[in-house]
Amino acid sequence: MQLYQKKRIEFVVEASCAPTILEMIEEAGAKGYTILHDVSGKGNRGVRDDAHLTDVFRNVLIVVIVAEELAHSIVSKSQPLLENYAGIVTMSDVDVVRDEHF
Amino acid sequence: MADLFQIAAGNLLSPVVLFFALGVAAAYAQSDLTIPEPISKALSLYLMLAIGFKGGVALAASGIDSMVVVALTLAIGLSLLLPVIAFSLLRVVTSLDSRNAAAIAAHYGSVSIVTFVAASSFLEHRQVQYEGFLVAMLAVMETPAIITGLLLARRGLNETASDQKSVFSPQVLRQVFLCGSVVLLVGSFMIGWTTGDSGMQIMAPLVKDPFQAVLAIFLLDMGLLVGKRLGDFGQVGKQLVLFGIYMPLIGAAIGMAAATAIGLSVGGITLVAVLAASASYIVVPAAMRLSLPQANPAIYVTLSLAVTFPFNLAFGIPLYHAIASLIGPA
Repeated sequence: MQLYQKKRIEFVVEASCAPTILEMIEEAGAKGYTILHDVSGKGNRGVRDDAHLTDVFRNVLIVVIVAEELAHSIVSKSQPLLENYAGIVTMSDVDVVRDEHF
Repeated sequence: MADLFQIAAGNLLSPVVLFFALGVAAAYAQSDLTIPEPISKALSLYLMLAIGFKGGVALAASGIDSMVVVALTLAIGLSLLLPVIAFSLLRVVTSLDSRNAAAIAAHYGSVSIVTFVAASSFLEHRQVQYEGFLVAMLAVMETPAIITGLLLARRGLNETASDQKSVFSPQVLRQVFLCGSVVLLVGSFMIGWTTGDSGMQIMAPLVKDPFQAVLAIFLLDMGLLVGKRLGDFGQVGKQLVLFGIYMPLIGAAIGMAAATAIGLSVGGITLVAVLAASASYIVVPAAMRLSLPQANPAIYVTLSLAVTFPFNLAFGIPLYHAIASLIGPA
């Protein structure tokens, strides 16, 4: 079966800054994204959990799959947006089945 | 004096306060007790709906007069002014930088809806009446403080262009004005006001009878949240914890003086004191996180949620009510 090489970017970011990141991703030209709400863990901002009431201590996971060139552009554009927020950004190689979707 | 002591003790031993204490203790001891989030959200929506609806019905019964306009103007004034006092105090008394001080100040001008709900339940339990438009005062006090807070943060900062843009972005405005709890509160108030007593006949089994019990369960969840935040006390520091206790007293004193001056009832004076004393932990943190990301949320949320909220709930409400009974109209 024919597979196509893409880059997969993962953002673990503070829920309150997720809309900004999503807007940037779409403007950059990605055709879509996936969001996992309420992810928890521990990092340099302490324990991040699903505290009710306020989004301030809540994280979400955003996954974007795009071509390599676009992936680099998205990652570099994300850095100024994340300056004062909790955020982990990673990029990895993936193979997709339906090339036209990404 | 004996009376005050009795009221305070009675309040501490009410189900609302005891369930809150249970939550704090359980979370602090790292029990796995949790209330599932959808249920907690439903409880909070119920409380908004009930308090809004009851306020609207009360306003329909009393009718609108010039007092309503005066009271709402007062509410906006308090919300705009209290952050200035909080900010000045923080800058003089503590060594906090101006961004964090401004972020905290905004919280203290805004209000805690749950504290208001607990206070109204405290009054209802004692058959003390209050004006229906107090709920409208609650709704309008939520946001003006954010504007003052952001203006205070801007002063003395040489900002970059991107900072300028983000301060009153559409995203912040939407979050502030279309926050779900505020929409439901104001909407239910309007529905209560429109439908009046006949509406109340339909809604009473839901909004009246279970109200205090639901509040107690919700407070258990609040206790669990507060218990989890106790670990952040180190970051907050002693000076700020003290601020979280004396600032509500200052706010309450100003609120009571103003409410007495415009001629509110004892119940009304108590609730204005509670509004001026309480600090936001839902709407304002969300707005500050977007507009003032350099300020540390672990400080401002811990202060309003884990210091000021319990203080008002356990000691503030009975204290403000006792003083209101002394200074208010007989």
